[in-house]
Amino acid sequence: MEQPKTDEDQQLVARTQSGDAAAFDQLVIKYTPRLYGLVYNMTSNHEDTNDLLQDIFSKAYKAIRGFRGKSSFYTWIHSIAVNMTLNFLKKRGRRFHLSLDDVDTSIQNDKEFLELTATSSPVREADLSELQRRLNEAMMKLSDEHRAVVTMFHIQGMPHSEISKILRVSEGTVRSRLFYANRQLQNYLDEFRKNPVG
Amino acid sequence: MDEFNDNEIGKLLRLKRYEQPPPGYFENFLHEFHRRQRDELLREPLWRILLERTQGFIFRLDVRSLTSYPAAIAAVLVCAAVISLKIYQEPGAANVVALQSGPALSTAVNAEGEWTLASPAATRIFRAQPLRSLNESANTHRAAIPPRYVLDSVPVSYESTFRF
Repeated sequence: MEQPKTDEDQQLVARTQSGDAAAFDQLVIKYTPRLYGLVYNMTSNHEDTNDLLQDIFSKAYKAIRGFRGKSSFYTWIHSIAVNMTLNFLKKRGRRFHLSLDDVDTSIQNDKEFLELTATSSPVREADLSELQRRLNEAMMKLSDEHRAVVTMFHIQGMPHSEISKILRVSEGTVRSRLFYANRQLQNYLDEFRKNPVG
Repeated sequence: MDEFNDNEIGKLLRLKRYEQPPPGYFENFLHEFHRRQRDELLREPLWRILLERTQGFIFRLDVRSLTSYPAAIAAVLVCAAVISLKIYQEPGAANVVALQSGPALSTAVNAEGEWTLASPAATRIFRAQPLRSLNESANTHRAAIPPRYVLDSVPVSYESTFRF
């Protein structure tokens, strides 16, 4: 996924800092879909995601005066989102239920989906909702930190370097978390492979 | 194929991008954000709102840019000019007051003889009527006649110790 142009963000940030609230609205519009994907795939709950996203933008608006541009706005807002979501998940603990969004029907035209259904028998045999449920269950079995890395790398398509900046850990740590999470996902999805229709 | 490899796991997870919120969610998100901000603002105490506004104002002023050397020197010069004007004005006024109402300085009370917080004490002192005019004092202290010191009573040591 392509990273938004930073100079455009810088201008919007500068305008917001000088009191132009409409500039922050543009940043909200621009980043809502991306951050929604990030938070939703970490929580697997639409309502929690909505509340968190409101809190994230509210916090960002209050803190933007102190934003000095040492990192890009993209990295900064993602850091806020990840930290707030991880804090929320710690408080929520194990008491949660999946509240999944509908799968967009355009998935049927996705090249990778077509490839998977052509080559992988479990994906071919399972219906979409079953596939979605299995994937989300597997994701929720990961620790919060591992799920964050998997979401950013596999789902959001961020490079290791960007993830390391957002999480403030080394790239080596990102790679090792990703490796460990992939092994775990392989084990969890093995059941799905053996019994695709659940 | 025995198990999903890393590549297939990646492809499977990328399909999660197609999980999307209800239609119109992103369009309404900004309205919801504004509504929540208004609600939050109404719940906040007035002092915090004022504090935030002040911080915003100071930030917009960009105080750091005002603290450049020329600005700092100019500010110091203006302060110095104001202070020196005050200093040169005050001694003259003070002397006049001292001449006109030297003894009255100790009676810095209003007409009713009570202390109030209505005006500064110094102002009242300067405006107070002198107890004696210069002419009156001239009558009592003549330059030609040397001052006489009169004892009102006999010192204790001069009194006779025994009286019969």
